[in-house]
Amino acid sequence: MVDVLRDGHWRKLPWRRLVVGDIVKVHKDSFFPADLLFLASTNQDGVCYVETSNLDGETNLKIRKALERTWDYVDEERAKEFQGEIQCEQPNNSLYTFTGNLIIGKQTLPVTPNQLLLRGCSLRNTEFIVGVAVFTGHETKVMMNAMNVPSKRSTLERRLDMLILILFSILFIMCFIDSICSGIFINRKYWYLGLTSDVEDQFNPGNRFLVACLTFLTFVTLFSPIIPISLYVSIEMIKVFQVTQFINKDVKMYHKETNTPALARTSNLNEELGQVEYIFSDKTGTLTRNLMEFFKCSIGGVIYGKGVTEIEKAAARRNGTGIEEMESPAESHEKYFNFDDDRLMRGAWRNEPNPELCKEFFRCLAVCHTVLPEGDELPEKIVYQAASPDEAALVTAAKMFGFFFFRRTPTSIRVRESHVEKIGRMQDVEYEILNVLEFNSTRKRQSVICRYPNGRLVLYCKGADSVIYERLMERHNPFKDTNRDHLEYFGAAGLRTLCLAYRDLDINAYEMWNEKFVQAKSALRDREKKLDEVAELIEKDLILIGSTAIEDKLQEGVPVCIETLAKGGIKIWVLTGDKLETAINIAYACSLMNNGMKQFIINSDTKEIRDVEDRGDALETAQVIERYVAERLNESLRQAVESEQTQTGLELALVIDGRCLMYALDPELRGTLLKLSVMCKAVVCCRVSPLQKAQVTSMIKDGAKKITLSIGDGANDVSMIQAAHIGVGISGLEGMQAVMASDFAIAQFRFLTDLLLVHGRLSYLRISKVVAYFFYKNLMFTLTQFWFNLYTGFSGQRFYDDWFQSLYNVVFTALPVIIVGIFDKDVSITNSRKYPQLYKAGIENIFFRWRILIIWAISAVYQSVILFFFPIKAIEEGKNSSGRMLGLWDAGTMAFTCVVVTVNLRLFLACNFITRWHLISIFGSILAWFIFAFFYSGFRNPLDKQGNIYQVIFVIMGTWYFWYAIVLVPVASLALDFLHEGMRRWFAPYDYHIIQEEEKIKGVERDELLLVESPRQAPEQSLELTGLHGEMSKHTGYSFDSPCFDSFFASQEGVSMSQRSYDIARRASMRVSRRQSSDLGSDSPPPGHNSLI
Amino acid sequence: MELLLERTQRGQKVSSAFTQQELPACKPLLTPKWVITIFMLIGVVFIPIGVAALFASRNVVEIIDEYQTVCVPGRYTTNGEREQFIQDVNQDKHCNRTLTVSKLMKGPVYVYYQLDNFYQNHRRYVKSRSDKQLLDGNATDTSACKPEQYLSGDLAIVPCGLIAWSLFNDTYNISADGQQVTINKKGISWKSDREHKFGNVRPQYFPNNLPRDLNGSLIGGASLDPNTTLNEDEDLIVWMRTAALPTFRKLYGKIEQDLAAGSTLSITINNVYNTYSFGGKKKLVLSTTSWLGGKNDFLGVAYITVGSLCVFLALLFFLVHWRYPRRLGDTKYLSWNQHASAN
Repeated sequence: MVDVLRDGHWRKLPWRRLVVGDIVKVHKDSFFPADLLFLASTNQDGVCYVETSNLDGETNLKIRKALERTWDYVDEERAKEFQGEIQCEQPNNSLYTFTGNLIIGKQTLPVTPNQLLLRGCSLRNTEFIVGVAVFTGHETKVMMNAMNVPSKRSTLERRLDMLILILFSILFIMCFIDSICSGIFINRKYWYLGLTSDVEDQFNPGNRFLVACLTFLTFVTLFSPIIPISLYVSIEMIKVFQVTQFINKDVKMYHKETNTPALARTSNLNEELGQVEYIFSDKTGTLTRNLMEFFKCSIGGVIYGKGVTEIEKAAARRNGTGIEEMESPAESHEKYFNFDDDRLMRGAWRNEPNPELCKEFFRCLAVCHTVLPEGDELPEKIVYQAASPDEAALVTAAKMFGFFFFRRTPTSIRVRESHVEKIGRMQDVEYEILNVLEFNSTRKRQSVICRYPNGRLVLYCKGADSVIYERLMERHNPFKDTNRDHLEYFGAAGLRTLCLAYRDLDINAYEMWNEKFVQAKSALRDREKKLDEVAELIEKDLILIGSTAIEDKLQEGVPVCIETLAKGGIKIWVLTGDKLETAINIAYACSLMNNGMKQFIINSDTKEIRDVEDRGDALETAQVIERYVAERLNESLRQAVESEQTQTGLELALVIDGRCLMYALDPELRGTLLKLSVMCKAVVCCRVSPLQKAQVTSMIKDGAKKITLSIGDGANDVSMIQAAHIGVGISGLEGMQAVMASDFAIAQFRFLTDLLLVHGRLSYLRISKVVAYFFYKNLMFTLTQFWFNLYTGFSGQRFYDDWFQSLYNVVFTALPVIIVGIFDKDVSITNSRKYPQLYKAGIENIFFRWRILIIWAISAVYQSVILFFFPIKAIEEGKNSSGRMLGLWDAGTMAFTCVVVTVNLRLFLACNFITRWHLISIFGSILAWFIFAFFYSGFRNPLDKQGNIYQVIFVIMGTWYFWYAIVLVPVASLALDFLHEGMRRWFAPYDYHIIQEEEKIKGVERDELLLVESPRQAPEQSLELTGLHGEMSKHTGYSFDSPCFDSFFASQEGVSMSQRSYDIARRASMRVSRRQSSDLGSDSPPPGHNSLI
Repeated sequence: MELLLERTQRGQKVSSAFTQQELPACKPLLTPKWVITIFMLIGVVFIPIGVAALFASRNVVEIIDEYQTVCVPGRYTTNGEREQFIQDVNQDKHCNRTLTVSKLMKGPVYVYYQLDNFYQNHRRYVKSRSDKQLLDGNATDTSACKPEQYLSGDLAIVPCGLIAWSLFNDTYNISADGQQVTINKKGISWKSDREHKFGNVRPQYFPNNLPRDLNGSLIGGASLDPNTTLNEDEDLIVWMRTAALPTFRKLYGKIEQDLAAGSTLSITINNVYNTYSFGGKKKLVLSTTSWLGGKNDFLGVAYITVGSLCVFLALLFFLVHWRYPRRLGDTKYLSWNQHASAN
């Protein structure tokens, strides 16, 4: 539902009723229902904040600005007066371009992407906005990006088609042999066939060629049961059952919090889930919750914070250390804050070894930022509007430590400080903000110069460790080295770190510098560059305070899930639109990467490339990057091969950014990239566009011919979800695009374990068994007819009655195999999860290899020989005790009985798991045959036109031969399979055999929590090892998001990006003026209390 | 079975042992113990059954005489000449054979004829009959009977079709030690055939019953007595239960007396049936039966072979298992643990 202006009033209408030209009001935190032209916002400066993570996966907010001419169409009264004409381009799929004009009156205003609010994005930090729908429904840019949903078929099913082709060729060969022979056989000498005169073509010895041709057709119909038509129907039934009954109803994949069960949106791909080798995962919303929490910090060389990250939990679990006692504190449930340490909380920091430094730390957090407070100025009520979730976390942390930032004016920040002078005492302090030195991606730091009420002049700076350390004072920094160790420790734990520092300024020096700053600020050309240069002058001789560690909160159970999947032989790639640092952090946090790995980082954000870029020659830039990428790729591949050969056991990781990827995906480099990436244990692609996500997926899918699965939650993952063999969408949250494009929807990443290791594996096992069994059953059946026709002069005579043949597949052998397809289970569900390695069988396709099919085929040939010759030999010279002879139909019926019994009993050897349904269906099928036979041959009936079978079953059942054969033939037929199964288990056991035996001995533990292997198997990496003594790289985990106008991808696509910084002072002043105006009785709506994101 | 109870929004129970795939089940493992036991069991059961079947078969006394060549005068050397001899109406085709009973044949002794290279299971042959007509004599639906459907274009043949037309017509006359032996032709067919498949129908326009001058090529096998109804003509009933293989025996009659060991049988054969064109053999078979049936070693041999193979396999399995034991469920055999130890 959305507010639409109809008849001068806002009316709630469903999205689908929206038409182009409607004026729409969109509230905070809701999605844009269509591509809107941004007219007005409650923010006075006509801007609004947009979260685009659904489109590009970036976590920082984007700024959109309305045309000044339209700013005041905010309320109903004004909006309904809005009259204008919009001219714009045709709907297209380019997310970052838009050209058009807005004609108001006689005025023509150009419209740029800056005024366009795309469907799929959501509004943040803005009360509401008013816009005009430009594109709706399928014409919106995000929908134009959606590819047609490709129809997906599983690999196994495609191989099944091959199998059917093989069966067709067997059919053809059999028919061919028999028809040639029939042409040769037919002869007038067999006078009893009446071939002398008036003979139909099929038997006319005068034209043997025609005889062969026509007989060929007869044989095709005779042998047609070899083509398992019912197979497709049976498989479909089994799959639908698996989907509706097992996957959709699995309690272990049911997410209580959001009340979301797993949902399989297709039943085509169940068994494909059992063969996945590559998982491509989105980061935001899939691996992480898009929630930053202040987690730990290091002040003056001391680490504070008792929290345990998921990765540490995983490590602890591996080492067998108790987890319960290490559970992270649950008491402080403030958003953005997950920290507890009695040494710092509630003023206790005063008793720490360096309380002064602590104070600086907290003040730095409270002062050095670009956050706007909103709502009541009470710690419980206040809402921080931050463009970056990191900042919100830092300011919240300051609040929790007793430095409550509650008001910002253009020139000052007010902080309510507790416990500073005395425990329990509170005091409002106003810091005058003199300068703000903005954050950007090259500076990687942000500074604020402020004046204390007592006149003290301080510069607070926070930023990446690399830039801060360069600018530290030579002396007076005793904690430099310990702090670096701590940073590495945080980084290894997947935390996002920032270093904090300060500098006391001398008033005179400051005044001199400020002049330069003002000059730079008013420069007309290269203002940004000049500002940066000036900032360099004052950001030096810093004194390190410490560092913060923010947890980019992972979804529950992600590291464990990833570890489990990795054990199952599945490789997980992270494809994210986010920044390199963030991506690497997450890779660490999910235990995809660790410091023990050799990392190849191919990043376009290097100095040379930046330099070339600055020159502005697009062609040259492209060439330089291409050369760089080629060099790096080849070099990396060489090293990778080397390390492979030397067998150091070193694990490799590849990190590549989207820009380099663009070149690496070129046809020339593609091969190298593929080779390199399949050698790597972990691959992280950052800054990748939705299209590139799909390209990477396709590269593995088509290039490496491996089975791929993509998982994501946002619109930016749709293309990847559709490109992969299997697409999985994260459901239960806002935004449904990914789910709508997916084949399976689950509520949490960790449910992949169940989806793949349990359902996928079992489905694969079952379907391959069913297919192999069908293959065997039909081949065997048809071969008996083939043998028979060798003895009928190749005439195409049926061995079995027509109805027997027709009902063979549909009635007498149909149900049991479906039951096996539904129920069969090699090891218990618990063990499926406990031994993820079992999953490798699916990746290696062990159960549907040609070898397996050949074994089934051998068994089919052997059994067909037994099943034809034994019954026929038994009655050949036989007579019953009254001397009477049995005939053709007696033999056929007897053989058919043996076939039905054998084929049904064969299933007992094939299945691992026998429930009463198995027994009922198998014996039921055999019984069904007898019942049918009794009825069919008991009465003269219209079905049996010739009456061949009339009374036959009773005749043969009256002879001893029948009973002899019914015991002998199935036993003799199945002996070979029995022997094979017995030998297989004993001399070349599959893994599941061993685990079945273990289950038999030990019983099945029904422990739901036991997801990871016992500690005996633990890899040698402990937290200390990974954290501090990593050889290959020292990852310090710096990461910070700053807001900007445009998506990163816009710049990548060559769309100009306005380098406008987040002008906090101006925004603050706007707010102040607005507050004043609202005090004066303006009708602007009251500020909301909704929390961010 | 513990039921996990979860409720979705609609309040339905989402969980049960079935949907959670935790149904109670038996999980038999083909451990060596089972393999050996089952193989042994099969051996122990099958060998005695086989021995019993073999004994039964061996107790059957059987005399076989192949006569298709000896019953044609020696001057006809090729099958073509013999065929002409057979078809020559003017030749006397009776032939005398003398056989000796080697072992006491307890009555009833069954008399069979055996043909070979005779494709009674050929598709054209098998379908060339009308069961409906055999039962009720109705001549309308005889389309299946081609080419023996109508005589001279419009006279519907009863019984129609190739099978009836090619009825075997050699006859045997047996005397033992000079004593005429009666061959009882009653009860040689299956009761169900006699009662349910053949009706009280008299043959009509049966080609072989007509004067030969109509068309020589029409001569097939036996002629039918127009006064004997089909359900009484047991030779026809036996013949029409088509054989499964091109070599087959059919019951000719029963001798309801013992044939003493050493007695001489002199048999007069009226050798008129044409198997010479396709080179098929004709044999006369005299056989007793056992409880199991006629002389048929196959079942006994098959049972004994399968049984002893199973015993052999059981022993083999036992030996290998004893020599190279593998502890049940030992996780060191898991492929990933083996890789680990190999490194």
